[in-house]
Amino acid sequence: MSEQNHQMKPPLLHVKGLETHFPIKKGLLRRQVGSVKAVDGVTFDIPRGKTLGLVGESGCGKTTVGRSLLRLVEPTGGEVLFDKHAVRKENTRGLRSLRRRMQIVFQDPYGSLNPRMKIRSILEEGLILHRMGEERSRLKQMEQALERTGLSPTVLERYPHEFSGGQRQRIAIARALVLKPEFLVLDEPVSALDVSIQAQVINLLKELKQELGLTYLFISHDLSVVEYLADNVAVMYLGQIVESADVGQLCQQPLHPYTLALFSAVPSVEVKNRRQRIILTGDVPSPSRPPAGCRFHPRCPLAERVCREVEPPQVDLAGHRFHCHVASRELERCGGDAAETSAVMQAAITAATSGSTEPHSAV
Amino acid sequence: MAAPLLEIKDLVTVFHTSKGRLPAVDGVSLTIERGQTLGLVGESGCGKSVTAMSTLRLVSSPGRIESGSITFTRDGESIDLVTAAEKQLRKVRGGRIGMIFQEPMTSLNPVFTIGNQIAEVVQLHRKVSRSEARSRALEMLRLVRVADPEQRLDAYPHQLSGGMRQRVMIAIALACEPDLIIADEPTTALDVTIQAQILELLDELQSRLGTAILLITHDLGVVAETCDDVAVMYAGRIVEQASAVELFSHPMHPYTKGLLQARPNVDARDSGPLATIPGMVPPPQDFPSGCRFHPRCSHARKPECNEESPSLREISSGHFVRCHFAEEINS
Repeated sequence: MSEQNHQMKPPLLHVKGLETHFPIKKGLLRRQVGSVKAVDGVTFDIPRGKTLGLVGESGCGKTTVGRSLLRLVEPTGGEVLFDKHAVRKENTRGLRSLRRRMQIVFQDPYGSLNPRMKIRSILEEGLILHRMGEERSRLKQMEQALERTGLSPTVLERYPHEFSGGQRQRIAIARALVLKPEFLVLDEPVSALDVSIQAQVINLLKELKQELGLTYLFISHDLSVVEYLADNVAVMYLGQIVESADVGQLCQQPLHPYTLALFSAVPSVEVKNRRQRIILTGDVPSPSRPPAGCRFHPRCPLAERVCREVEPPQVDLAGHRFHCHVASRELERCGGDAAETSAVMQAAITAATSGSTEPHSAV
Repeated sequence: MAAPLLEIKDLVTVFHTSKGRLPAVDGVSLTIERGQTLGLVGESGCGKSVTAMSTLRLVSSPGRIESGSITFTRDGESIDLVTAAEKQLRKVRGGRIGMIFQEPMTSLNPVFTIGNQIAEVVQLHRKVSRSEARSRALEMLRLVRVADPEQRLDAYPHQLSGGMRQRVMIAIALACEPDLIIADEPTTALDVTIQAQILELLDELQSRLGTAILLITHDLGVVAETCDDVAVMYAGRIVEQASAVELFSHPMHPYTKGLLQARPNVDARDSGPLATIPGMVPPPQDFPSGCRFHPRCSHARKPECNEESPSLREISSGHFVRCHFAEEINS
């Protein structure tokens, strides 16, 4: 995501100002009365072979970003370049050939596999659609994909209900891999799994990335999984990316108040050094009526007047990008030192939230 | 010494199905003292929720409590919830023991206002008029810090967010000032920032009202942050039990250790793949012989582990482990 990558090689995926708005229709004539701005101006790059972790809470638009990239939902604005192809301008045929190269794995392995189809038909469907090989070579490709995901070829003749959640997710991954894609959207692929099974699937994803040189967009609400798998992380709030950086930078020196709160809210098993938890008040507002100015301001403990009125511009500190009036001012005061700024922000938020027992404002 | 608030002894809850007799809970013993928080952790299907439901005798057919006792003590008076009459039990449910479930949308009635639903509990357990019950409901909403409580009283569940609904659930559970709250995955359906709000609220209410909590969850992090004591369940049995500090600093059972090591984090990313527990949790019809964890355990030895079921032994003071070789693998 840094400037260097831009100059060296174009990224595999370049997303600029992506917008996906859903119309709200009301009345007899189904007139459009407004729109849900699920994704509202999202920009990022993913270099080949890297993983971008996209984190945020439910309703922030992270899943819609993933689907918009593949045009499973139609974006309403912005630009998506996949290996120099403008995804939004492709016709049906062009899109189909692109979709072979960009695949998606969904969250719920119970909902994403058709219960009436044998695993063979589930895996073969894509191969037939994309005219990849004759029957015998298709079988070979399917067996290879299953083997890669740690399943035996004997599963081909069985039905999804015969498998556990972890195995189903392996089948869903095999279905994506059989088409030999370059890019995978992983939409909460381990959220529905138990801890011990989750670790198996995470290891598998990491292994596949290394062996096949895959590029991932890893969408998750679970920060610990993202920290483990991603090279770069982008934090979303209400349809926009509020902060992004490489994983180490973001975890150690978060600058945006929302990122700070999100990290502090993750329960840790270290009983002894419990982090000072930042408790945010209220809920995420509705994306049909996002607040003016900075979208986080109604919940932000550091919100000032300017935050309520002016949308914060992006600050780019050698690839560490964020949108926050307060953080950018503090950064200037600290002479551009991100570590120091992060500490100052942390201290300010802790001071602002400790001891507050006011009612949680409803939004 | 006074009797503990709740003492579960050798609880066995079985389900009689076409697959035979399935012991979902197989000899569980737990003790909860007044004002304490006990965490019951385990993966899906380990029997933790059935344990909770059994405690209030809410297991429905084909499930049945086969044996064991659940002694609830209050003001020096003990009753066994397993054998108590239905009438007595109704006083306990929602009165002396409150419950919070995972999914607030399915546990709240969509056709009644939340004010109604809180007042209902109060009227069931106390001799109060409707208006008194309503003002108690208002008080409860204030207690759980719902904004604009006067307006919310007349709101329906669908008009509230997930976090707000869970606050309402807590308000219902607390309305009759119970001695114990059973919270079954109270924050699993919520986002982390909302989860943090709810955990903080529970913590604060507990220290203010002195309520004991039985917290059932799959999330070790939640347990570490909130509980005094922890019991880890696997395949219907408790495999390890200790204080939270002890359990997380010196886990002894191979399963507990495996669970803790399988948690991904940023520090682990450069040290190779995550530690995993091979295989998966067995369903009750396939519980293995001997130690139920032995097919997945890297320390398992024949013939001890696959033939002889280990007992829950006190390895160090207050730290119980169900493993034949607990001392050896932890030395």
